[in-house]
Amino acid sequence: MNQTTPTNHLDPDHLNAFIDGELPPVEQLGIEQHLTTCHACTLRILSATQLKAATARAGQRFAPPPDALARLTAQLHAQQATPEQRPQTNQQPQDETKKAARIYSMASFRPAAWAALAAAILLTISLLGWRQLHQSNTLAAELLDQHLFTLSNAATPQVISADRHTVKPWFQGRLPFSFNLPDATALLPDTTLKGADLTYLNGQPAALLLFTIHKHEVSVFLTQRSTSPTLVTLPSSRAGFTLHTATTPDLRIVAVSDVNPADLDNLIAALVKAQASLQISK
Amino acid sequence: MPSATTRSADFEQLALPLFASLYNHAFWLTRNQAEAEDLVQETFSKALRAFDNFQPGTNFKAWIFRILRNTFLTTRTGIATSRTVEDHPYTLDTIAAGPTPEDTLIRLDNQATLHAALERLQPQLREALLLCDVEEIKYKDIAVILDVPIGTVMSRISRARRTLRQLLQSQLGESL
Repeated sequence: MNQTTPTNHLDPDHLNAFIDGELPPVEQLGIEQHLTTCHACTLRILSATQLKAATARAGQRFAPPPDALARLTAQLHAQQATPEQRPQTNQQPQDETKKAARIYSMASFRPAAWAALAAAILLTISLLGWRQLHQSNTLAAELLDQHLFTLSNAATPQVISADRHTVKPWFQGRLPFSFNLPDATALLPDTTLKGADLTYLNGQPAALLLFTIHKHEVSVFLTQRSTSPTLVTLPSSRAGFTLHTATTPDLRIVAVSDVNPADLDNLIAALVKAQASLQISK
Repeated sequence: MPSATTRSADFEQLALPLFASLYNHAFWLTRNQAEAEDLVQETFSKALRAFDNFQPGTNFKAWIFRILRNTFLTTRTGIATSRTVEDHPYTLDTIAAGPTPEDTLIRLDNQATLHAALERLQPQLREALLLCDVEEIKYKDIAVILDVPIGTVMSRISRARRTLRQLLQSQLGESL
């Protein structure tokens, strides 16, 4: 690898190409290997990824006026109709031209109107889809950012404890909702609660629970379901990390980790089950 | 003509989903709502006329963004912008000496600060950065859109991020 050496860290061009997914797989892998041993470069990657995600959010800023689409489709359809009418008008006497044009316009009215309507519907759907996709990408980026931040040594959770009776009460008064933590016996062996932190996701307060499964770090984010206006479907993986989501009547649970997906599912299942007991105890 | 109808339906299917993205990008270029809308309308109109030249299987998004940009360059704002860029190609470039900006983690939850920093970014750098980060277009396609070599795209993105970080750090000051 010429982009990194033990003394000479990632150069800016490779760093950018890495976070933009522009490197060939071999180089990508080389950098990933370098990152496992280089804390400084990991922090730089984390910082650059955060900036990229924030730019993506801030750059998506100007929405078209509501009627701009109607104006556009009208213009497009007028443009499409023009060349088709021309041959008829050249050959017909004036009266017939008018008649033909009228017949043409009557005949073409319905398809044109339907086409306009269909285009408007298609656009509305695609805008919704695009917005949904964009939101889901932004949220996935935000989740991954926060997870990567927990991996760096600079991040120390505010509560460092494996005891659920310490962790849960810490959130009282800090979060507008409550949640349950599973008993250690309900977790699979080698799954450990490390600590917790208060964080914000998409502008909403969230509980960040830090677990380890077979030495893999896991970040679990708990948010209140009622405050999320739309439940965005997240991609199941991003940049090599698995993102798994579950919902309970009150909560949305998202786990991010590079551990194998089945283990992540087990942890989520234990968390969901723990919330069920909260429902009963209410 | 059915083939023409099919063709325009194909065009709309590809182009209309990009309407919001094109508008957002047009606004960043023109900084004006009416101009942005006119620019997008003209882009769609030109793209429809030129749709026969579009090769299926190639990147439609890059193709239409290139038309948007070329159309912008012929507007008064576009001409003025390109002149400014030509006159001062490196005004906001930063010096590579000293600690690398990436060494510092910054809090990026202040949307207003980030908007302000993006606005202060040199248009040429901002354009490349937005195509990469917001539109998620690949370097090779950005090179086609901007009509520059891929190395220039990389250096613009790199400079954009470095400058953005410096602007953010100076705006956020002690609160970092």
